[in-house]
Amino acid sequence: MTEYTYMPEVRRVFSCTVPNANIRQVFLMDGILQDPVSDAGGIVLQKGPDQMGLRLHITGDHSDEPIQIISVRSEDLPQPLEFSTSWELAAGASAQVIVCDHTLNEYLYRTFRFSQIKLGQGARLDILFMQNEHELSRYCLDIKAGLDRDSQLDCHILSLYGGTIQNKLQVSMPQPGATCNLDGLYLADREQAVHYDIAVRHLSEGCHSQQLFKGILDNKARASFNGAIYVAPGAQKTQAYQANHNLLLTREAKITTKPQLEIYADDVKCSHGATIGRLDELGLFYLRSRGISLAEAQMLQQMAFVQDVLDRVHTRSIRSRLEKMVESRLRGEFTRCSHCTMHCC
Amino acid sequence: MLSIKDLHVNIGDKEILRGINLEIKQGEIHAIMGPNGSGKSTLAAVLAGREMFTVTGGSAHFMGQDLFAMTPEERARMGLFLGFQYPVEIPGLTNVNFMKAAVNEQRKHKNLPPLSSAEFLKIMREKMAIVQMDPSFVGRGVNVGFSGGEKKRNEIFQMAMLEPRLAFLDETDSGLDVDALRVVAQGVNKLKTVENAFVVITHYQRLLDYIVPDIVHVIYKGQIIRTAGKELAAEVENRGYDHIIN
Repeated sequence: MTEYTYMPEVRRVFSCTVPNANIRQVFLMDGILQDPVSDAGGIVLQKGPDQMGLRLHITGDHSDEPIQIISVRSEDLPQPLEFSTSWELAAGASAQVIVCDHTLNEYLYRTFRFSQIKLGQGARLDILFMQNEHELSRYCLDIKAGLDRDSQLDCHILSLYGGTIQNKLQVSMPQPGATCNLDGLYLADREQAVHYDIAVRHLSEGCHSQQLFKGILDNKARASFNGAIYVAPGAQKTQAYQANHNLLLTREAKITTKPQLEIYADDVKCSHGATIGRLDELGLFYLRSRGISLAEAQMLQQMAFVQDVLDRVHTRSIRSRLEKMVESRLRGEFTRCSHCTMHCC
Repeated sequence: MLSIKDLHVNIGDKEILRGINLEIKQGEIHAIMGPNGSGKSTLAAVLAGREMFTVTGGSAHFMGQDLFAMTPEERARMGLFLGFQYPVEIPGLTNVNFMKAAVNEQRKHKNLPPLSSAEFLKIMREKMAIVQMDPSFVGRGVNVGFSGGEKKRNEIFQMAMLEPRLAFLDETDSGLDVDALRVVAQGVNKLKTVENAFVVITHYQRLLDYIVPDIVHVIYKGQIIRTAGKELAAEVENRGYDHIIN
């Protein structure tokens, strides 16, 4: 595994060790893009309207050269910040994008990020959102995605740490043959809150969607999951699946989960399922009877619970990095991580 | 090695064990037999530290230490092992990570450094060979999708990895075909030394053809009603429990 450290001079103490040598890192400081890119290979990355946010346009196959957008908030007197990002893939293009959100200080940051995803015919986008802020941050991600014929969107959201995190994700599939795989993991403790609002709209025939969202809530954490699947009249041969599973570690933690299916076509396969549970007593005893301490057994069970979400991240090096981060988050090692100097992505 | 005196155990208000006395010395193989519901599995589980049971009287000392003052993991680290009748499935946790965690916790307890991945895998392969376990099981979820026989092999494999002083094997033979039974029994025999001890809990004589016990006990309604040599197992097989009970 090759590791390298990116230490930009102007950007104070921020380092990011990513396990991929061929990753392209771009910084977004307080919503302003630092390094516009326009290369001959078909990647164009520029500032958005009013110089805020960013627009990425991709042609050609770039699935082996991930682009990492490191979005950092650092102002000393923070105002609510609103900006948009757009990701547009031309017909047949493919890309892998990692978006990491951090804060450099422990101020009350409010960030609203609007995100638009447009996939041309047959395009493939694999996008991972890493939300790693701090106790006081308020963060809202609002994604609207449109998928053209035979295109595929893989979207992973990892809500690792934050005061209040709100994720809205709307995917429309107006053309036949499109696929979207959405998955998410939310970890919250103390008085943190995480909300997911997902809507997948099957507007044409033969589209597939699959959703897997899991959460672990400790202390007095709150979470909600609203997941709607809409299948329009005529959207025959639709396959749409949704699952939301939650683990509550205390009696005070709360999750509200609301799966919704609205189906107006008659030749479809759809399912949804939601569960809320606790750690498994018998499983813990089994592990302890092999000499594993109670705390470690609880840890192993939590890691086991989230494993299938992490398994959906295809790139192995990124996946194993995420596994380590999730583990240290669950071990409570993130409380001192608000300044993002822990090389956590 | 293990000394149980007048052990009484409840589940809720119901008394399951009603005064068990048992002495196990190193180098011995004991068999515990008895009809369904007589308390065989309860005895093994309560010794391993299952919390659903309440000890209402009596004592159990392992290596001179009060067993009931210890957590399940402390008992395991001292060398007590329970082979589960129904091994637990843990999706998402691989066998290799499970065993690595267990072996390294045990090593930490003995003030030994954790094994490197290479050393660990080498030992794991050796131990898997003892129970003829397919190497592909290393990366699979603990007991997930395993057949009954594979789960029992996995128990013996775990035992081989942890090298306990005293192992309780709770109906390790149930649900096994003759071939799997032989593999499991051979595994146990390979692991047997003059220093460790085994307690084999079973309904049937069949397993005891392969694992020959020194001492056989029959439990009935929470008490040991007969203790004798290996001929007792044959007697149970030929004449049934009724004959001994009455």
